[in-house]
Amino acid sequence: MAVLNITYQGNSGDYDLEIDYSASDADIRRIAVEVVRSGGIRGLHLANLPDNAFANYVVDRLRSPGGEERIYLRPKVPFGA
Amino acid sequence: MTRIAFCGVGALGSNAVLYCRELGAELRLIDFDRVESKNLAAQWFVKQSVGKNKAEAVRLQLANFYGVKAEAMGVRLAAHNATQLLDGCDLAVDCFDNHDSRMLLSEAARARGLPLVHAALAGDGTFGLVRWDERFAPDREDAEGQATCEGGEHLPVIGLVAATLARAIQDFLKSGARADSMVSLSGVVRTHI
Repeated sequence: MAVLNITYQGNSGDYDLEIDYSASDADIRRIAVEVVRSGGIRGLHLANLPDNAFANYVVDRLRSPGGEERIYLRPKVPFGA
Repeated sequence: MTRIAFCGVGALGSNAVLYCRELGAELRLIDFDRVESKNLAAQWFVKQSVGKNKAEAVRLQLANFYGVKAEAMGVRLAAHNATQLLDGCDLAVDCFDNHDSRMLLSEAARARGLPLVHAALAGDGTFGLVRWDERFAPDREDAEGQATCEGGEHLPVIGLVAATLARAIQDFLKSGARADSMVSLSGVVRTHI
């Protein structure tokens, strides 16, 4: 099981309930829409969030040095210079 | 003395170099591009730098404002010159603005076992990443020519990501740590220590 972190419009937070680390990217995006609509993440409650809000978002699956599994749903970061 | 190669000295790169000026490392600046007037809004350049090569402009500003020496290489990093540009460096820093250059730099760094840290920004200026190469995969734009965060309204977040990158570099030089961070309007969160 893994902690899901969602970043949307500059706000970022963890979802309290753990989800399956091996869930597909599509499932993560679908779950995230429901989580944000329901106010499951403090400071990130958008009841009318569109179904495709996370369509172009990236799903990162990272394991912390302590072994904790975390899933990050985040915007793309193509820029720098 | 440790030598750091900054690959790309635009928005993130120029500001990160500014924050790394007192690390006691030799700074090598790599960028083929030239300073445009619009760059003054979000990149560490002054009016007198407009028209100059970006690497050379940062080198001059470091020398003139702070008395810090740096080495400027005003060329585009490519497969044929990566060995020369990264030669003698102990750390590479990716502040490029496109997928292909980031991939090329990753391949060059991995081929020579050179530590590499990436910094990257979302186009809307609300989010950024600092991540070491072993956990980084470059993102492509959603569409070619997508708006970038070059306007001055995103400068505070650009500065925050650049400062986070500088801190990651500082930690690496001090202890070898390779800390990743995620930067949003909520703050800076370490995602790997």
